[in-house]
Amino acid sequence: MTLNKEQYTAFEDIVGPEYISSDPAILFSYSWRSGLYAPPQDFSPLFEAIILPHTNEEIQAIVKLSNKFKLQFKASSTGWGPYNDATAPGCVKLDLRRMNRIIEINVKNMYAVVEPGVIGTQLQAECMKLGLNCNQNGAGTNCSASPIVGHCGFGHLSQSGSYGERNQLALEWITPEGELVCFGSLGSTGAWFCGDGPGPSLRGAVRGNVVPMGGLGVFTKAATKLYHWPGPTSVELEGVSPSYVPTSIDNHFLIRIYSFPDMEMMDQAQRKIGEAEIAYELMGFNKGMAASNIATSNEEMLKLHAEFSNLLTDFCLMVIIGGYSARDFEYKTKVLNQIAIDTQGKSLTKISDDPEVAAGCMWRWLRPTASIREVFRATGCFAGEVGGTDVFRLMADYIVETAKVKQKMINDKLIFDDGAPPFTQSIEHGHYGHGELLIRYIPNPSNWAGMMDFMAKANEIAIKQHFGVPGHVFSDMQHDIYGPHVMNYHKWLRKIKKSFDPNGASEGSHHITVKE
Amino acid sequence: MGLEEFRDDMTTCCRCSACKFVPLETLKGYDHVNICPSISRFDYRAFSGGGRLGIGVALLDKQLDYSSPKLREIIYNCQMCGACDVSCKYAMDMEVLEPMNAIRSEMVKHGNAPPALDKMITSLKNGGPMLLEGNAGQGEWASKLGVKDYTKQSVQVIYHAGCRTRHDKTRWAVAQQTVKLMQKANIDVGIAMDEPCCGGRAYQMGYQTEAADKARSNMESINKLGAKTLVTGCAECYFAFKVLYDKFGVKGDFEVLHTSEFFNRLVQQGKLKPTKKVNLTVTYHDPCHLGRQGEPYIHWKGQRVPGQLIIFDPPKEFRRGTKGVYEPPRELLQSIPGLKLVEMDRHKEFAWCCGSGGGVIETNPEYALWTATERINEAASTKAEAVVTGCPGCESLFETAIRKNNKNLKVYDIVEILAMATL
Amino acid sequence: MIVEKLSQLLGKENVEFKPDILESFSRDLSFVSPIRPAYVVKVKNLEEVQNLVKIANETQTPLIPVSSGAPHFRGDTVPGTGGAVIVDLSGMKRVIHISRKHRMAMFEPGVTFGELISAVAKEGLRLNIPLAPRRSKSVLGSLLEREPVVMPIYHWDISDPSGCFEITFGNGELFRTGAAAGSGTIEEQWAAGGSQKEAAGPSSASWYRLIQGAQGTMGIVTWGTARCEILPKLEEPYFIGSSNLENITNALHWLVRLRLANECLVLNNVDVAALLANNGTEFQKIKTSLTPWILFFNIAAYDYYPEERIKGQMEDMNGVAKKIGVQAVKTLGKIHANEFLKIIQQPSSEPYWKIRIQGACQDIFFLTIYEKLDELIKTMHEEADKIGFTTTNIGIYLQPIVQGVNCHCEFNLFYNPLNAAETDKVKQLNSIATRSLMEKGAFFSRPYGENTSLIMNRDAATVAALKKVKQITDPKHIMNPGKLCF
Ligand SMILES: Cc1cc2nc3c(=O)[nH]c(=O)nc-3n(C[C@H](O)[C@H](O)[C@H](O)COP(=O)(O)OP(=O)(O)OC[C@H]3O[C@@H](n4cnc5c(N)ncnc54)[C@H](O)[C@@H]3O)c2cc1C
Ligand code: SF4
Ligand code: SF4
Repeated sequence: MTLNKEQYTAFEDIVGPEYISSDPAILFSYSWRSGLYAPPQDFSPLFEAIILPHTNEEIQAIVKLSNKFKLQFKASSTGWGPYNDATAPGCVKLDLRRMNRIIEINVKNMYAVVEPGVIGTQLQAECMKLGLNCNQNGAGTNCSASPIVGHCGFGHLSQSGSYGERNQLALEWITPEGELVCFGSLGSTGAWFCGDGPGPSLRGAVRGNVVPMGGLGVFTKAATKLYHWPGPTSVELEGVSPSYVPTSIDNHFLIRIYSFPDMEMMDQAQRKIGEAEIAYELMGFNKGMAASNIATSNEEMLKLHAEFSNLLTDFCLMVIIGGYSARDFEYKTKVLNQIAIDTQGKSLTKISDDPEVAAGCMWRWLRPTASIREVFRATGCFAGEVGGTDVFRLMADYIVETAKVKQKMINDKLIFDDGAPPFTQSIEHGHYGHGELLIRYIPNPSNWAGMMDFMAKANEIAIKQHFGVPGHVFSDMQHDIYGPHVMNYHKWLRKIKKSFDPNGASEGSHHITVKE
Repeated sequence: MGLEEFRDDMTTCCRCSACKFVPLETLKGYDHVNICPSISRFDYRAFSGGGRLGIGVALLDKQLDYSSPKLREIIYNCQMCGACDVSCKYAMDMEVLEPMNAIRSEMVKHGNAPPALDKMITSLKNGGPMLLEGNAGQGEWASKLGVKDYTKQSVQVIYHAGCRTRHDKTRWAVAQQTVKLMQKANIDVGIAMDEPCCGGRAYQMGYQTEAADKARSNMESINKLGAKTLVTGCAECYFAFKVLYDKFGVKGDFEVLHTSEFFNRLVQQGKLKPTKKVNLTVTYHDPCHLGRQGEPYIHWKGQRVPGQLIIFDPPKEFRRGTKGVYEPPRELLQSIPGLKLVEMDRHKEFAWCCGSGGGVIETNPEYALWTATERINEAASTKAEAVVTGCPGCESLFETAIRKNNKNLKVYDIVEILAMATL
Repeated sequence: MIVEKLSQLLGKENVEFKPDILESFSRDLSFVSPIRPAYVVKVKNLEEVQNLVKIANETQTPLIPVSSGAPHFRGDTVPGTGGAVIVDLSGMKRVIHISRKHRMAMFEPGVTFGELISAVAKEGLRLNIPLAPRRSKSVLGSLLEREPVVMPIYHWDISDPSGCFEITFGNGELFRTGAAAGSGTIEEQWAAGGSQKEAAGPSSASWYRLIQGAQGTMGIVTWGTARCEILPKLEEPYFIGSSNLENITNALHWLVRLRLANECLVLNNVDVAALLANNGTEFQKIKTSLTPWILFFNIAAYDYYPEERIKGQMEDMNGVAKKIGVQAVKTLGKIHANEFLKIIQQPSSEPYWKIRIQGACQDIFFLTIYEKLDELIKTMHEEADKIGFTTTNIGIYLQPIVQGVNCHCEFNLFYNPLNAAETDKVKQLNSIATRSLMEKGAFFSRPYGENTSLIMNRDAATVAALKKVKQITDPKHIMNPGKLCF
């Protein structure tokens, strides 16, 4: 299927000839497959057209036309993951990169309003000038700054900066039928500070702990909470890419990687650090991730991985302390040291004894920029288990269980052997947790078959052992596997989809579709 | 190298978009986050480094046809500035710019390069300059300098002015001052009245054979001369002699230096003394081919080790833009009394391109000017009075951009600044 | 006859239709027009609730879930239509589970603040509670109303401290929100180490958000979980008194932003007096002894080096206060901060502070940001002046919520319900002021009573979207019809 002349012209009339294209050269650049969950095929199905809208009015008109023409549409911000892609003919892409304004930063009430084309780095850099910070997608600050665009929205900063589902304030939503809905205070007063009400909060309809992955309309502006930033207004760097050394960030900041004898001790440390409210960041970092982050090449990564393997167990935490004052820093450091003693945490000397490495890591994790190193440099592709959210230990245990299946894939030489330790995330001073298992592989049919087998087993573990609905569950197929065990939530989700998108215009293969 | 050789690099692209942005650690505000002029101007993903690699795979898979006009528009609306390559390699072990060069080479082979470029290549093949306009006489610029002709007399130092300087009268002063400064420092310098084109720009435009041929013929004659050093004030020539010729396996037995490097050494050694005050606040623009692309070529021949990790046998050291020429021009500027150097947000390895490279100035001057205007605005935001750089290509485009935008900025070649303080 | 079905299901003794009882549920302290329910039924467990909803669907009988005991204030439990059945959940009083490790509690709708506070305290935990709620107030009811709470630093999201809910939707289907959805039974989830804490989900919808703020229009919740915080080892409460609201909001901003205070709220002298006084004389005395604005906050410390933490936080707090030009003090007038802390860490003493002196109170509350407060307070005063309601008798409560991103602003109009003229004034003021405040940007996120349609009508797109949601959960509109936009 390709757009007929009438259809193309109708879209063109909305955005102008410069901002729509159906040329194969343009289309193929969008259908080159993402490195995330990369299948052996090079390309996903082509979009019928790529459209680059600039305003709400344009998007509304495009969405309404899509409904009229029985076409589907899919929006994207930076367009990284596979969920940005078409899965079949008949879909137009709305690339929102031209919608890239920071609308407002309110210092006293600590929120910011962004369009989806603003990336995390930009918002963070502007916030830091004002002594504030915003949560960042763990994928990196190359992702959209909008709290409702990334997949879950957890990241390095979530210990003190929560995550998308909870940072979201007012929101501008163009429904799958093209209506503009302004959530909360925005709809009633035009201000951005609140996303809930009047009455029940529509935030609940448009996302859960994961977003609808392009399957429920278009989010054109969103307000997000901001947090205090105890660091400098900008960070000075020395050196040249890929080895930057921050020179102005050491004041009141400290970074450690601790290795614990077992999961129980690591969990205890996570809880104690959380309850003491001392960490600006707290993540379960493993040796593979640390090596990939610090190294500037795969060769160097291998060496570091070997070095860390002798020093770190599979149960490690990365902690960053950010003191709000000299005295606060002193107190938090003292508490951290005591907790490490109480939980038998051993500090990785590469970090604690080398100020350059420490400063480098700190900045790469405060402005998360090295996730690409971490997950993609090794093979260009990664997949794996993206757990859900609940309490930290449950999520960590899930990953430990799925890691056993990963180990088998390593033994079968289907994936990169980086061991199989969990990667976990502590959220809101330990109140919540999240876990993932990183799997790096080179996509070919047998590895891919192995991956699919792994995913099936991971699903089975989640369901049988009651670990909740993981974040990687998108698509009808997966929802239909989980739903019957999870209060038939898939039926409810489908009802929302159906109510707001009766024509199934918002391409929902990575969310849910209206099929029964 | 053929495009097929880069399949692994291209299929390593994870679609992260890092190539659209400055290395993210460096950003200090909302502005100046973009690094790629092409996607910044044309917006479709196809115009980014990553988009181009996807297109490369589609070409290899025969999903796309080399004859497509849109393909030509995409492939040639790119300055080949290499910024995408640097930003990508902050994190990744893969080539970006090299496959992009290979795609252009295929475009040429398939006869789908822009006609304007073909015209320049014909000129190159005929021993002429790679210019569409500007036709000042060959060695005229040096007629009053009393400088040796290295094709006739032996010299220690060759000064290669470059086509863009020789054939544009407005650039002559820089070349003349270069020679005068050398003379002041008692350097045994020579020029060629009939200077050959370096051919470097042919490579960026996709004419790899022509560039390699030119490199070989140039080196045949230059190597014979026995000079110790080749100095050039053009970043593109610098890149050709230093990096490209090395890549082509015709590296000369002499050192290649940019004027900023050469003169900085002389100043550091006390052979030139900038004593006159130059009361200016300036910002320095790193030309792409002197900065990130100016880093030495690294020869490597090997293959990817089979298995689930991208490593190579023998190990491959990637050129990440780390070792470009960044400090010498800055040191030189800082040695000028009275002069204050302020940095633009995007500098060194993540400098924004002036806009003229990759044949863009010839094929899409409007886009070239758009790119330069972005840079001029960035320079103006530093409150500098002047932009200093080290490439005639950047300089003339900046001047046009300033004129067209009514900006109150001056443009200097770094040699002009040194000359003000020294001559 | 429905009564037979109800009696059969719940037992005769649990189906009430005595006129005085029906009458008591036909009205509350709000100005909502009274409508008598047909029955009041007491339910004891989920099974009963499910069957009840089934019957209601079969018979098109409106159900109005009520968890708290009287007095009710907002009209949300007054039937919006005739023939309704009040579903009294206040007898469901089980505290089902408390986990110190995971800092959470699970409880039924009838559990009141007093009950839950002491239950979690035994485990070393505490709740983030609203300001001195009435004794009969259900914790779950409060969570469902998105009631503001007094510890802004632990109020990360407007839904806090809610966790998961078990709900029978209006269409009769049972659902558990968030992590509680499973897989598995709750017991199986506990055995696996789960704790029903994550409110969001499952997957890409957050049903709890659609249930909160719904005033019982989506379904009947039979238990909920709340996130708890740990009990401090040491606490050091303070007041900052001032007549300058900007200084007060600056202090609020920094205390919350730097996480220096747990309990942290602002009252005007009227509200402080109302909270503390036992009679009119005391009220006047306290009121006149105070500055117009009173910021109360509490510095707290936990297990590690508590003395050091308190001392340090105090130092930082004093630094902030100095910069702003205010001073933190332990006593204000005759009120000691430690005593005040005790008062706001518990439900109100009886009678409830809002009705203790005058007998009735009408609240006008909305959300805003600090920079708008001054104008909005002025607007309120202007409207009160116009009507002839003495502005110096208006209580004002400012509660930073969502970690200081929003400010809950509440005007408490204390009045004597036996005085018809005064009551009428308050009634008029309630609607006139709401309109004016809205025009000045006040966001009435939780519309109650007779101003509801005025508020909802401002946002037709949201109303249309909410109706779609309602159609999913309660297609026959049996749940509390007439409320909000349903
Ligand atoms: C290396 C790596 C690490 C990751 N780690 C994390 C992590 O730690 N935490 C986490 O939460 N996620 C993580 N992810 C997932 C990540 O959030 C997504 O890949 C996301 O795509 C990031 O890009 P983006 O925010 O620009 O959104 P996009 O890639 O542009 O879009 C993401 C999805 O949202 C849809 N969408 C985008 N914009 C809009 C819009 N305006 N309106 C409606 N729908 C829209 C798209 O269709 C797509 O389905 C990781 C991914 C990678 C590749
Ligand atoms: S070229 Fe490199 S930086 Fe660009 S998208 Fe591909 S992997 Fe990312
Ligand atoms: S070479 Fe320069 S212009 Fe071309 S794609 Fe890369 S960054 Fe963009």
